[in-house]
Amino acid sequence: MKLDPAFIWTAFIQLLSAVPTTLELTAVSVLCGLLIGTAAALVRIYRVPVLHPLASAYVTFIRGTPMLTHLLLIMFGLPMIIDSVAEGLGLPFRSVSIPMIGFAFISFSITAGAYMSEVVRSGILAVNRGQFEAAYSIGMTTPQLLRRIVLPQAFASALPNLSSAVIGTMHSTTLAFIASVVEINAKAQIVASTNWKFFEAYIAAALLFWGLTIAVERLTALLEKRIHIYNRGGVA
Amino acid sequence: MIRLTQIRKSFGRNEVLKGIDLAVEKGEVVVILGPSGSGKTTLLRCINYLEKPNGGEITIGDLTVHCKHPSKKDIHRLRGKTAMVFQQYNLFRHKTALENVMEGLVVVHKVPKEEARRRSAELLEKVGLGDKLNAYPSELSGGQQQRVGIARALALNPEVILLDEPTSALDPELVGEVLAVIRKIAKEGITMIIVTHEMGFAQDVASRVVFMDQGVIVEEGKPSELFRSPKEERTKQFLQRITPEGVYSI
Repeated sequence: MKLDPAFIWTAFIQLLSAVPTTLELTAVSVLCGLLIGTAAALVRIYRVPVLHPLASAYVTFIRGTPMLTHLLLIMFGLPMIIDSVAEGLGLPFRSVSIPMIGFAFISFSITAGAYMSEVVRSGILAVNRGQFEAAYSIGMTTPQLLRRIVLPQAFASALPNLSSAVIGTMHSTTLAFIASVVEINAKAQIVASTNWKFFEAYIAAALLFWGLTIAVERLTALLEKRIHIYNRGGVA
Repeated sequence: MIRLTQIRKSFGRNEVLKGIDLAVEKGEVVVILGPSGSGKTTLLRCINYLEKPNGGEITIGDLTVHCKHPSKKDIHRLRGKTAMVFQQYNLFRHKTALENVMEGLVVVHKVPKEEARRRSAELLEKVGLGDKLNAYPSELSGGQQQRVGIARALALNPEVILLDEPTSALDPELVGEVLAVIRKIAKEGITMIIVTHEMGFAQDVASRVVFMDQGVIVEEGKPSELFRSPKEERTKQFLQRITPEGVYSI
């Protein structure tokens, strides 16, 4: 077997059609994950009764099981729940009408949420106690304090870890092929098997992922520069 | 008018405040002195509930908070009537000097942005930082940061400003500029309670000095009286320890 360098390019071009799907999967999981993660982090930090042990259990279970397992559990479990609930309520809705990518969105968001919650939590814990006290002393309520003072600083300090989480999530979206979603890696498999040029197609996929990752890194650097304007004087 | 009645506070088994009574009239500048561990900072922090007292009553103007069972609303109102200047400045580090001063006005008091900006700029001008409006805390010296802190407290137009060792974290050569600002606002009749170790300043600015030790108020009086002829043995010892002979002649 000989490498066909030209085919790498051919495959690369064909893979581009799957980029929107990968980006969509990444964006939805990251955004929902960030929401879930921030909520879980706050619930754990403030030790909200009832919710606090639930949030802890969520984080340890999700981080303690593979992402592939989450996807399989959601794919097979969720339709059963939805159908029995719909039936019980006498609704005509059935889970078959949910597109497969929907299960990927849900499952990836749940996975990302658990990892993001630890990232956000570390960011919040890194905010100086004095910032809380100053905000309370000028009469802010806890929601105002979180929104205006703590979370902006928490996200700023968590940015490097957050970008790792985004990159990790993007690479993990390749698992969506289990749910028959054609993202970059699945597309590579299709391109490879129709042409019998596996190595070339996967090289193209690797390059494409690398490129997307570099874009995320660049974006992070840009954000970091903007957010850390307030650090420009050096020590705080 | 501020009245503290039988304020108690314990950290675990350590009783830090053993029933403090203190009344402060409008326009008074009360300086609290005392050895470290005497509870003076804790007392100050109890007044705006950064520390939760275990018992007693806090009255500020028309609001009385019963410290055993305070409602969330009461605590919030109490904080609305007080402002704090911190030893470590505690400026919001992701906001400029101007934004730091504006924050309370806009978010808490719902003052329109333009007006808040104007008032904040005026206050920063007043503390001598008219040229630093857009500087971040990390770009300012300690003395400048503390002056922003004072402007931030003034902006809220509180009934009392609590200053917790406002110059203790500063390099010696920066202490003067901060004390000058505090002196200036004291002259305007703003009620202040100050914990400080700057004896000369205390003598100069205070209308009353309170000496605390081991969680109780040992003695209080006019600065001239308390510094020159302290009645209690503990006060004498404390003053002797920290004031070299003959420095505090008035």
